[in-house]
Amino acid sequence: MPDESYRRFLDPVVVSKLATMELRARLVVEGFVTGMHRSPYKGFSVEFAEHRQYMPGDPLKHIDWKVYAKTDRFYIKEYEEETNLRGYILLDASRSMDYASNGVSKLEYSRYLSAALIYLMLKQQDSVGLMVFDEAVREFVAPRSSPTQLHTLLAKLDHAEASDETDIGIVLHELARRVKRRGLVILVSDLLDDPDRVLPGLKHFRHLKHEVIVFHVLDPREAEFNFDADATFRDMETGELMTTEPFSIRSDYVGAVESWKAHLRRECAESRIDYVPILTSTPYDRALFSYLEKRKRLG
Amino acid sequence: MRSSLISRSGRGSGSAWSASFRCGGVKENRLNFTFLNGAFLFAALAALLPLLIHLISRRRVATIDFSSLRFLKELERKRIRRVRLRQILLLIVRSLIILAAALALARPTLKGSFGGGAHAKTSVAIVIDDSASMSRENGDMFSDAVGLAREIAGLLDDGDEAYLIGAGEPPHALLSDGTFSPDVVLEELEGMSTGPAATDYSSAIELASGLLENSRNLNRELYLIGDMQRSGWAAAGADQPEAYADTEPVDDTEPRTYVLPLIGPTVNIGLPSVSVERRYGAAPGHFAVTARVSNHGRRGAEALVRLFVDGEQAGQAGVELDSGGTGTVRFAATVRESEWHGGWVELPDDALDTDNRRYFVIPSSRRTEVLVVRPDSGDGLDDSDYIERALDPGSSGDRFSVSVIGHGALARQDSDRFSVVVLADVGRLDDGSARWLDRHVADGGGLLVVLGNKTDIRHWNSSRLSELSGVEIVAPVDRPDGVRLAPALRGHPLLDGLVFGERLVDDILVRRAFDIRAPEVEEVLELPGVGSLLVIDRKRIAEAPAGLGGEVAVLATGIDPSWSDLPRSGFVVPLLHRLAERLSRTSSRPASVTVGENLLVRLQKPPTGRVEVEMPSGRTVAAELRDIPGPAATVSATEPGVYRFSVDGRVVALGAVNVDPRESDLTPADRGEVEDLLSARLVTFVGEGARLEDEVLQARYGRELWRAFLYAALVLLALEMYLARPRFA
Repeated sequence: MPDESYRRFLDPVVVSKLATMELRARLVVEGFVTGMHRSPYKGFSVEFAEHRQYMPGDPLKHIDWKVYAKTDRFYIKEYEEETNLRGYILLDASRSMDYASNGVSKLEYSRYLSAALIYLMLKQQDSVGLMVFDEAVREFVAPRSSPTQLHTLLAKLDHAEASDETDIGIVLHELARRVKRRGLVILVSDLLDDPDRVLPGLKHFRHLKHEVIVFHVLDPREAEFNFDADATFRDMETGELMTTEPFSIRSDYVGAVESWKAHLRRECAESRIDYVPILTSTPYDRALFSYLEKRKRLG
Repeated sequence: MRSSLISRSGRGSGSAWSASFRCGGVKENRLNFTFLNGAFLFAALAALLPLLIHLISRRRVATIDFSSLRFLKELERKRIRRVRLRQILLLIVRSLIILAAALALARPTLKGSFGGGAHAKTSVAIVIDDSASMSRENGDMFSDAVGLAREIAGLLDDGDEAYLIGAGEPPHALLSDGTFSPDVVLEELEGMSTGPAATDYSSAIELASGLLENSRNLNRELYLIGDMQRSGWAAAGADQPEAYADTEPVDDTEPRTYVLPLIGPTVNIGLPSVSVERRYGAAPGHFAVTARVSNHGRRGAEALVRLFVDGEQAGQAGVELDSGGTGTVRFAATVRESEWHGGWVELPDDALDTDNRRYFVIPSSRRTEVLVVRPDSGDGLDDSDYIERALDPGSSGDRFSVSVIGHGALARQDSDRFSVVVLADVGRLDDGSARWLDRHVADGGGLLVVLGNKTDIRHWNSSRLSELSGVEIVAPVDRPDGVRLAPALRGHPLLDGLVFGERLVDDILVRRAFDIRAPEVEEVLELPGVGSLLVIDRKRIAEAPAGLGGEVAVLATGIDPSWSDLPRSGFVVPLLHRLAERLSRTSSRPASVTVGENLLVRLQKPPTGRVEVEMPSGRTVAAELRDIPGPAATVSATEPGVYRFSVDGRVVALGAVNVDPRESDLTPADRGEVEDLLSARLVTFVGEGARLEDEVLQARYGRELWRAFLYAALVLLALEMYLARPRFA
């Protein structure tokens, strides 16, 4: 039930805090004026921008008659438009997202994080859409800014279940082809996929002038691998088994994870993609607010 | 050197050993890996524990769902494989630690002369033959044995342990707790001497092996030094070494055995036995002394035997002996009857002096107390009358003292008083009388049962008398025409020496007798036409001297004119005299034992004071009193000679102790026989000319390896700690 989803995902405390937050797109996006984001397009908008000489074919309704009365020449008014930001929340719902070492799975965490982002953007009168994926797109809701969009998206979040394997690269490419207008793409995923497939997908969006934020959600144990006893590990997606001594390989494992994250960070930075690593041990709201404030400071 | 000590080859018959002397040397010189504490090898099984724990742990490894194995896979090629290898190494190292520790505890040892070996600690048991046979040649042979033992003691090194055992019966350990000091061994050797006992090599070796079993030293050695007398290898009561014909496989746990045979003269004449018998019908105090003489040489010989009674020569006689044969010499001795007398027969000095005397004792000859038991009822003459008259002192020349009672009074008699009891046609006996007779016979007393008219066959066959005599009565046999007694009696040892007039015996007819059966009695006088006329059975009483009680005789015909002509013939007197004399011998039989046994003498009555024993050497000890039944005294017979038992200064008995006649046969067991007897051991024969030192020390080389295994365990432990250290803080 939409009300239930709302109550579930949007804690009043969090909501109140979000009221003071904003998520501004750094890069200019297309859109109409209703929100806070400036459009690169000079057309009809709320604010007068400048006059230009009438050219045959311009709409007559845009002729500034006052200026004609004064000058006996025809000029057209140009306006700056405040357009809607089109936001796309990409939620990874592959089976690996179901991993939890401290009671909260990455998927659950990501749902809350996504819900907060959705709320924030809709509050800003931006359009928000949702795509839930694993190795393929499972759910897609086009971006809207209507009042019912929040409930729609929260319901989708509520029903998102972890299943199947991951193929982030394909999904990103597919969405990139779908999305025509520039917007803000927010990927919430553990990125447990081949970086050589993930990064091209992200860069595809950048190529299309989208702004991209990647929330890299990991479980603390995935990052630290702090298991005590010998164990047989079973891949949640492939079912593969491997027995090892965690304490013996921990340092190497952590090094490998850090190295991987560093690679992602580097590549993202090069493409001007915001890379936000988060551990599920950090409350999602704190993680989000921390990011938003940092983003605001950096402009 | 040994050759200077053993210089007797060529004398006597030492050829059985001389061949071996030339090829002396250690039998084997091989590299031998062994474990001194083999029981700890079982601990090596604990080396499987790490593997078991590993296998059990593996089963308990939890399966954890994890988001992705991609990083683990990346690490597999390098790190995880290294981890697995490390796990395997740890498993191997931990198993090796346990294995090395267990092997160290088992004390592995490399034995043998392999250049670079060190003297391994040794425990030695020196068995010296200190029996009578080693005193030959005035003790020189024993001196040689002690010299060899000193040589062995001289080879002892620091940490070496020694035991000293004498092989004279019974084998005795002079250093039963062992000693690490060669000086102590030398001191004990100085105090050793030969004794009068026989040899028992087998028991001595067993004793020595038992002492060495407790040793923890690498090497264990047993030295057997002696004349290898063949009789010394036989177990008590068994025959000669042929009894040990089976060869056993060598048992590595047995100590290495060195046999050092000594050669000496083996020609010897001995006195295996001497017996003293009162002569039948002889005047009081007259005894026959019979000595057996044995020749253990390979040639015939003559022997002059002398008789000594109470320390004075009383006779001498010569005897010719075949090679390996025996002869008999008889002497007549006359002594005062009322006293005990001791004596000996003696040979001239020869190779072995210890066996040249054989001691004997002549008991004090008191009148033989005879108790005649008659039926309580009856008129007129009956068997007891005739018996009493036959044994009457007037006719016996104070030989017998006869008492006559009714059978009802038997149980009230003093059982120690009478040497012989005669049941003269006693029909039935009550239980008390039967028990009395039991004790009397067990005490060595003789019993003569004369059957007659009043004999109750059914009662007899179910009574104690039947068991005591071994006789079962079947039925009376009547021969109205009579059966002549003479053929049965002539030549019977009981009547040996008697001269019969033909009519004296020939006219005796037996008209009635009982048909008796005595299947287990050996001494039976048969009367054709009647059956067994007289049976004499020796009762075996375990507690009695030589295990023998008194004798029981049964006369199947009555001393009654209606049964036979015996009562009215003069023959009844010598017959009854001989029977009474025969039956009285057990109670008065003098005691004679071998050195090493206990000398037990019967006493006429319970002593009123302490019984003291004067040993042949003059030493006086207290005797131990026994009731066997009947009063007796016993003392340990440690030296040959006559032992005097006294109460309040009065001699109450004498006993004779002699050297074991087995010692007279000086023939040694040959090498093959000894090898067979010791077939389960690693044996080295060290003959004359061989260097004992060389032979012994070569075998002692060896190296204990427990330290190496312990160090290996410690190194492995350090390696384990290094491999198992935490890799991630």
